[in-house]
Amino acid sequence: MTVLLEGGLRITVPAHATARRFDGDEHRLSHCMKAVDFVLELPDCYRFIEVKNPARGRDPQASADAYLGRFTSGQVDLTLIQKYRDSLLYEWAAGRADKPVDYLVLVALDTIDDAQLLDRQDELHRLLPVRLPSGVPWKRRFVRHCGVFNIASWNLTYPQYPVERLPDPPPEPR
Amino acid sequence: MSTKTGSGERTTSLTGIRLRNFTAFSDFSLDLSPGVNVFVGKNGVGKTHLMKVCYAACEVARTGIGFGEKLVRVFRPCNSHLGRLVTRQPGGQTASIEVARRDRRLTTEFGTWTRDPSEARTDAAEDWKDEGLEATFIPVEEVLSEASGNLASDDTRELQADEIRADLLSRAFRHLTPGADPMRERLLHPLRTAHTGRVIVEDNEFYLESQGRLEISLVADSEQRLGLLWRLLRNGTLRPGCTLFWDSPETGLNPGVLGAVMETILELQRVGAQVILATHDYVVLKELDLRRKNGDALAFHSLFHNGENREVERDSADHYSQIRPNAIAEAFSDLYYRSIREFADAPT
Repeated sequence: MTVLLEGGLRITVPAHATARRFDGDEHRLSHCMKAVDFVLELPDCYRFIEVKNPARGRDPQASADAYLGRFTSGQVDLTLIQKYRDSLLYEWAAGRADKPVDYLVLVALDTIDDAQLLDRQDELHRLLPVRLPSGVPWKRRFVRHCGVFNIASWNLTYPQYPVERLPDPPPEPR
Repeated sequence: MSTKTGSGERTTSLTGIRLRNFTAFSDFSLDLSPGVNVFVGKNGVGKTHLMKVCYAACEVARTGIGFGEKLVRVFRPCNSHLGRLVTRQPGGQTASIEVARRDRRLTTEFGTWTRDPSEARTDAAEDWKDEGLEATFIPVEEVLSEASGNLASDDTRELQADEIRADLLSRAFRHLTPGADPMRERLLHPLRTAHTGRVIVEDNEFYLESQGRLEISLVADSEQRLGLLWRLLRNGTLRPGCTLFWDSPETGLNPGVLGAVMETILELQRVGAQVILATHDYVVLKELDLRRKNGDALAFHSLFHNGENREVERDSADHYSQIRPNAIAEAFSDLYYRSIREFADAPT
C-alpha cells in the first residue's frame, strides 16, 4: 500500500499498483518542465494524477472563490494541459511511456457542481486532445482518457484508490 | 395604484398560493418571493399551471373579470367547462384556489360538476382589485410574428382562443412612450449587449428596425424574443411594481445572450417588479446565481412528484444549489457520471 499526500489530501493506493510522486525533487527539470503530482502505474496503463485543494492558506474561502472563478472560466486549462504534456514528454524521454495514459484531475472543491466538472472535462478533451480530428497522422494515442473529479465522483469512480481530506493542522503559534 | 405599504413592502406582489385538487395539485402551497421566483422541475409537475393561476389572479385584480372566467380563458378546458380543471379522481371533487398579496386573499372553489365559470364560488378581498397591477405573461411560443391578419385588430384579438398570447399581444401593441426616462433607460441597459434595433408597429404588423426594416416574422427567433422584451420595457409595460411571468425564457435564445436577459430580470426585481419564471436551463440558473448582488431577492422552487403517491410537492431555497431535487442539475450529473464511468470501466 502506498499513501500519496498532496495539499491536505490523502490518496491510498493498494499494493498491486505502483505509485510515485512525480513533481518532487527527483524530477530535476522543474525549471523548464511542468509536472503532474503523481504517476500511478497499473499492469497495462499509467494514470497521471493532478491534485488541487484550493480551500487552503490564510483565507481558505477567498482561495476557493478565486480558484472557482479560474476553473469555471477555463483559465486553469492551459496549466493542466502543460502539466500533462510535459509529464508525458518526460516519461517518454525516460523510456517509460510504454502504455496508454489516462489523465485524472482531482479538484477538492465542493462548490463545483457536476455541470462545471463536465464542462471543464469536455474542454480538456478538446484541447489535449483526447479525440483526434480526421486526417491527423498520429500512430499512437496521446492520451487515452481524461477526467475531472471532485472527491465524491473520484471515490465513486475509483474506490480502489480512495481520496480523503486530512484534518486541518493546528494553527501556528504566534 | 398602491405599490408599497407602510412597512415598505409592495402590495402588488403576490406572496403565496394554495391549491387543492386543482389539475396536478392535490394539496399544494407555496410562498413567493417579492423578487425573482424560479420554478424548476420535470415536465408535467405543474410549473406552467402555477404561473397561469397567479397570472389569472393578477388579471382579476386589474380588470375585475371573474376568477373562474379568467381561469377558463387561460387554461382553455374543453367546452370552457371549468370543472375539468379539478384533479381527475374517482367520485366528485372540489377544487380550491387561494392566491395572496400579503393579507389580501382571492379564493375560489368549484367542483367537477361546475360548467359555467360564473358558478365558481369566488371570494375576493375588497381591496384585491387594483387597476394598477400590471401582469405580463410571456409564454413558450413566439407571439409577435402572429400579429397579422385576423390577430391584428383589438376586437378579433380578444376572440382568440389563447388568452395569454392575446393578452401579451395587446401589451406589445402599446405605444412606445416618448421622451427620455431614466428608469426605462436603466431597465433597457442590460439588453444593449444582446439586442440592437427597435421593434416598431406599422399597419398592425411588428417590424425590427435596425440597419433596415424587416417584418418581425423574417428575423431570427432570438431577435423576436429579445425584440419582444425590448418593446415591453420600452413601452412601459415592464416597469416598477409590475409582475412578469415568463415560461422558459431560454426558448429560442442562444445561451450567450441569456446573461443579458437575466440581468434585465434582476434589474426589474431591483426596481420593485416581481418576476416568476419557469426554466429547464442550467444557464438561466447559473446566470442568476453569478449576477445576483447583495440585497437581491431570489427564490428557487423545485417542483416534483413524491415517491409515494405521485403528489406534487416542492422544495424552496434562496440558492439554486440548495433545492432538492434539482431536475436540471440531475440531468448534468447523469451526463457527467456517464462520461467518467466510461473510463472507470476501461480495461486496465
